[in-house]
Amino acid sequence: MSQVGVLDSVAQTLRIPALRCEGITKAFQGVHAVNGASFDIPNGQITALIGPNGAGKTTVVNILSGAMTCDGGREFIGETEVTNWPSYKVARLGLMRTFQLSRELGGLTVLENLLVAPAHQAGESFVNVLLRPGLIRRQEREHAERALQVLETYGLYELRDSRARELSGGQKKLLEIARAVMASPKILVLDEPMAGVNPALIERIGGYIIDLKQSGVTVLMVEHNLNVVERICDYVIVLAEGRTLATGRLSELRENAEVVKAYLGEVIDASAVR
Amino acid sequence: MVYYVFTLVFFLFDYFILAMGLNIQYGETGILNFAYIGFVAIGAYFTGVFSLPSSLNTGQHYILGLGLPFPINLLLGGLAAMFFALFVALITLRRLRTDYLAIVLISLSLVLYDFCNNYVSLFNGADGLYNVPEPFAKALGLTVNSFIPFFACVTAVVSLLMWFVMSRVTRAPMGRTFRAIRDDHVVAAALGKNVFWMQLKSMLIGSFYAGIGGGLLIQFGGSFNPTAWLPGETFVVFAVLIVGGAGNNIGMFVGALLVETLLVHLPAFLPEIPGHPGLIEYFDLALVGIVLMAMLWFRPQGVVPERLRRAASFGVDRPLAEKPGSMGETSIPA
Amino acid sequence: MQLFWLSVGFGFVTASVLAIAAVGLSLQFGITNYVNFAYGDFMALGGFFTYVLNSQVLHINIWIALTIGSLGMGVLAVIINRLILGPFARRFSKSHYVLIVTFGLSLIMLNVEYSIWGAQVRFFNMPISAALHIGPLLLTRNQLIVMAVAVVLMVAVHTMLKTTRLGKSMRAMSDNTTLAMTSGIDTKRITTITWFLSGTLAGVAGTVLGISEGNLTPASGELFLFVIFAAVIVGGVGSIYGAMAGAILIGLATEISAAFINPSYKLDIAFVILIVTLLIRPSGLFARPGTA
Repeated sequence: MSQVGVLDSVAQTLRIPALRCEGITKAFQGVHAVNGASFDIPNGQITALIGPNGAGKTTVVNILSGAMTCDGGREFIGETEVTNWPSYKVARLGLMRTFQLSRELGGLTVLENLLVAPAHQAGESFVNVLLRPGLIRRQEREHAERALQVLETYGLYELRDSRARELSGGQKKLLEIARAVMASPKILVLDEPMAGVNPALIERIGGYIIDLKQSGVTVLMVEHNLNVVERICDYVIVLAEGRTLATGRLSELRENAEVVKAYLGEVIDASAVR
Repeated sequence: MVYYVFTLVFFLFDYFILAMGLNIQYGETGILNFAYIGFVAIGAYFTGVFSLPSSLNTGQHYILGLGLPFPINLLLGGLAAMFFALFVALITLRRLRTDYLAIVLISLSLVLYDFCNNYVSLFNGADGLYNVPEPFAKALGLTVNSFIPFFACVTAVVSLLMWFVMSRVTRAPMGRTFRAIRDDHVVAAALGKNVFWMQLKSMLIGSFYAGIGGGLLIQFGGSFNPTAWLPGETFVVFAVLIVGGAGNNIGMFVGALLVETLLVHLPAFLPEIPGHPGLIEYFDLALVGIVLMAMLWFRPQGVVPERLRRAASFGVDRPLAEKPGSMGETSIPA
Repeated sequence: MQLFWLSVGFGFVTASVLAIAAVGLSLQFGITNYVNFAYGDFMALGGFFTYVLNSQVLHINIWIALTIGSLGMGVLAVIINRLILGPFARRFSKSHYVLIVTFGLSLIMLNVEYSIWGAQVRFFNMPISAALHIGPLLLTRNQLIVMAVAVVLMVAVHTMLKTTRLGKSMRAMSDNTTLAMTSGIDTKRITTITWFLSGTLAGVAGTVLGISEGNLTPASGELFLFVIFAAVIVGGVGSIYGAMAGAILIGLATEISAAFINPSYKLDIAFVILIVTLLIRPSGLFARPGTA
């Protein structure tokens, strides 16, 4: 078992959070986008990161996933400190993220998009390409089999040979998630997975997220759709003005005066959304 | 007539190699290497000075002069280009996004050109290297005339070998990761790929090919000087790539055929227009530029577009449908 | 010491040429957001327009010829943008196709110039002027005029950017094109005017380059291009004042270094400075946020 795998089972037992950040700050040209965000993401649960627009949610996600550096603060995955690690290193620890605006690898086919995801591919080494073609071919077949399973699950099997740039918006969103799943993440960070998506697809994606939780993946999702948050999330973190405002279950937070104030003008009563 | 055809054949296969090198850098990985011809020149010069005897004997000024035989000097020339690429990549790749990288690289190309032109003791300055020993000429008793067909065939063989290696690379996960980086390097990094390291590998492989191509040039012609590699020559290789079809090894060959052979070298055999020396050559190069622009406008994927890699090529059967407890059947609790 | 002050003098002349060129490049880059790799050829062609008016066909005074020739290059730049660069830029969102097109444009322009004027060195028809002592510096009348031209143009550009409506629109566009469009700025008109300015400045720069170097060939501009890039990047990409500052720095550095190293390599010093800048402070001296 890998070192991270051992840490995971330990964390599970001791309830060490899967992902933790303390006092994250980030400023852009003097404007503080994030000003002291601290929270724990519980292991094996679905956590929502909510807050009014401009609260710094996407910036926090970028920092957590290594796409941006922070000016101050610390971040931990399990027991390992990953503050300001570049995104590829964070990804190799098992944190996968999706993007708010789907970023498909346009020139590659849908299947190839997934095949990029697995780590430690023997075929990425030049020496192996020259000297061990058989090994590569075998690995490719294994990966392709698994990728086709994933595609089937997400309803993208028919599109396996289509170039990713030709997909519709909803299909690209599914591809984005499927690709992250293919990398066997331990933590999956979804940036507004339901944004701009029709209600039927929302149901489907919600179902996939629940299935992922049931197979042991920790999920963090940035989301505006509080109806979805109420239905599938176990835990909620509220961010406002770049700081953690409150944490807990959504039902509790709705009673919280500060949270209500932060959302002033925005409807947080889920039943009214329908 | 024979020598004319075989000269064209030589340039066809040589530019095939050069295009493959640029393809792995630009077509596959998306690195806009505007200094490509500089690496070709390094390969040519080093191949030359590895096979020329000591400079004391030849009346030229250059470094090294080790008198090594073919193909050792050629391989060393390729390695020299590769080391130069390592140096350049370490300084520039990490810090610069595409257009700034292009600026720095083209500046590098101009400075390198300037430097080789002026610093005579390096590679004989503006005169360049000449009387470079022809490979196998003594051993096989080749005359000046029979050397041309012979070496054209040698080049063809070398290029096919290099094509075999390159197609392995592009078919492998390595090639796929290169293309992922080309399409969106942020996503590639988010998926755990060390983008810088992969880009570096791409630069090294491509530069090796550039060096080999350059080395073959100096061995074929017996000489090499700065006029052979004005920075604009990089553009001709780009034209080969884009006209033929970037990201595609067959496209490289087609591009080499169309651009290098037909456009560049065929007209060189036309008679000169009296009173206007070099006019045909100037028209020719301008035409290459126009052809490239037309190609980019009307058919940017090139004559031979990038191959679609189908699922079937991975040798998998259709996965079983709906195993018990498969994902996708759960929906959100109401 | 005498040599040092001589070099400083030459440095100011080179800086003048660089400043005109760098500002022209920066203005266009700020608006279109891609680098024009044919800029060196714009310079050379502008120089040749002047040459035709001054020595080849007519015999107009060099400074008048410079004005007309440069304006001609400005017009040609607008045409090139209308017919070629603009359509490509609009069609391909990925900037690197346009970069390849400008690279190709460079090849086409260079060879067309070779076709028309050949590769031989050309000379402007201008009176040889005596050297004058300005303090410790020793400069010819022509060199002083070049510097004056540069100063006038810099002041003009500065004034335009700060006070005129056109200048404000240009600054808005270079900050955020989409926002500028929705604010009612006629981006197409501004782009056209910017290309005209860029082409004209290129023409002036190419001509004064020919004057200060004493000769002109079709490749002169291209070979000088990396020095201009160095000035723009060292000064800070996206900043016009950075370009001016970079020009002075690079101009002085290259000429003063010529006193110490083999003068054939003095321009290469610019490249060294460029690399060092990229390693230590990649955004340059006066970078605008959000670039590089």
